[in-house]
Amino acid sequence: MTEKPAEKTEVKLEIGRFGKFLQDNGIKSKRQSDSNNVETIVIDAKDLEPAMRLLKTSSETTLNFLLCVSGVDYADKIDSVYHLWSYEHNDALVIKVELPKNNMTNTQTPCMSSISNFWPAANWHERETYDLVGIRYLKHPYLRRILNPWDWEGHPLRRDYKQLIDALNDKNPHSFR
Amino acid sequence: MNEPLKILNQSNELVSPELSDTVTLTTLDKAIDMLSTIVSPIANLARSNSVWPLTFGTSCCAIEMMCVGMSAFDISRFGSEVFRATPRQADLILTAGTITRKMASALITLYEQLPEPKYVIAMGACTITGGMFNDSYSVVQGVDRLIPVDVYLPGCPPRPEAILDALLKLQQKIRTENYAKRRLKGYDQRPVRYVDYDSGRPMEDLLAMAMEETKEVLTKQDNDNTK
Ligand code: SF4
Repeated sequence: MTEKPAEKTEVKLEIGRFGKFLQDNGIKSKRQSDSNNVETIVIDAKDLEPAMRLLKTSSETTLNFLLCVSGVDYADKIDSVYHLWSYEHNDALVIKVELPKNNMTNTQTPCMSSISNFWPAANWHERETYDLVGIRYLKHPYLRRILNPWDWEGHPLRRDYKQLIDALNDKNPHSFR
Repeated sequence: MNEPLKILNQSNELVSPELSDTVTLTTLDKAIDMLSTIVSPIANLARSNSVWPLTFGTSCCAIEMMCVGMSAFDISRFGSEVFRATPRQADLILTAGTITRKMASALITLYEQLPEPKYVIAMGACTITGGMFNDSYSVVQGVDRLIPVDVYLPGCPPRPEAILDALLKLQQKIRTENYAKRRLKGYDQRPVRYVDYDSGRPMEDLLAMAMEETKEVLTKQDNDNTK
């Protein structure tokens, strides 16, 4: 995409509860505005595994339930988003990992580490994110397309995805896609 | 592509492309034709009143298909109450629901597994044009791109009465059929796997052409080698 990322009006947000917890354990994080009153933090890709292990096992947080893994394609970066939940404390946290695009083409995929060894539930979620947004999760046991046929080209929810026009799909080739 | 196409028939004679589609009637065919004019009306009456649909529902339209089988609308009044779970025992596919690209090959396989005579009702906007998912990357824009369709049944979803109406239309169509004619038209009953979409020609013809070309190339190579 050619569009420029919008000028950000940086509002300095106070460090949140979970951000503070991670900071105390030596993991840096950046707070973003809350999503649905749930604390949202951004962390580095290399910090993901230790942070997840801490948040899951520590008795202070016990965020031991993974709600969902998803991906978002922005103009300049691709986000991998994790929603965590704690039944003990009735608490939730959203973790984002930003992967810069750096003039990446449609078929290239950014890489980051998988968390399917912590939560088996992440297995299919990561496969779906790989299929539709195209984030390659390293160390995933079976990273294959899950929704689209195995021989699909490209990742349909990317901003620059060009839809295939062929015998099965050619009614309105000029429409907005 | 301007040069005339060369196609061989079974006894290896060259036939022109116009002739490749015509059908020669043998005496056996004529006998069957004559017989079928007598038998067809009776057989058709039996057939049209026992069209067994396949249990094939891929999304919301299938709910209406279930509804039409229940007692409020009761499709069994028209002899179609036996929804079969295997294509080998069914006569009709009601394509109830969106067909995605991943489902397309399965639908073609199911259609091929139906024994003749087989019929298709394209049920709902999704299976006629792609419906509201027309713009989607994964949806086939109409099942008539995959398999031949007998009755189009628009609606999103169509009311159960509409399904009954489509079934009655199909029964009318079946009653006008002639067995021998249908057999000769076997070509039209083919799913798209056998027809090249770009040229609209059956795959056998294309294969024959390709074989012919290969043969030419090989003989030319042989000639070159012997020189
Ligand atoms: S036509 Fe409408 S009701 Fe039927 S499958 Fe499509 S969206 Fe669902």
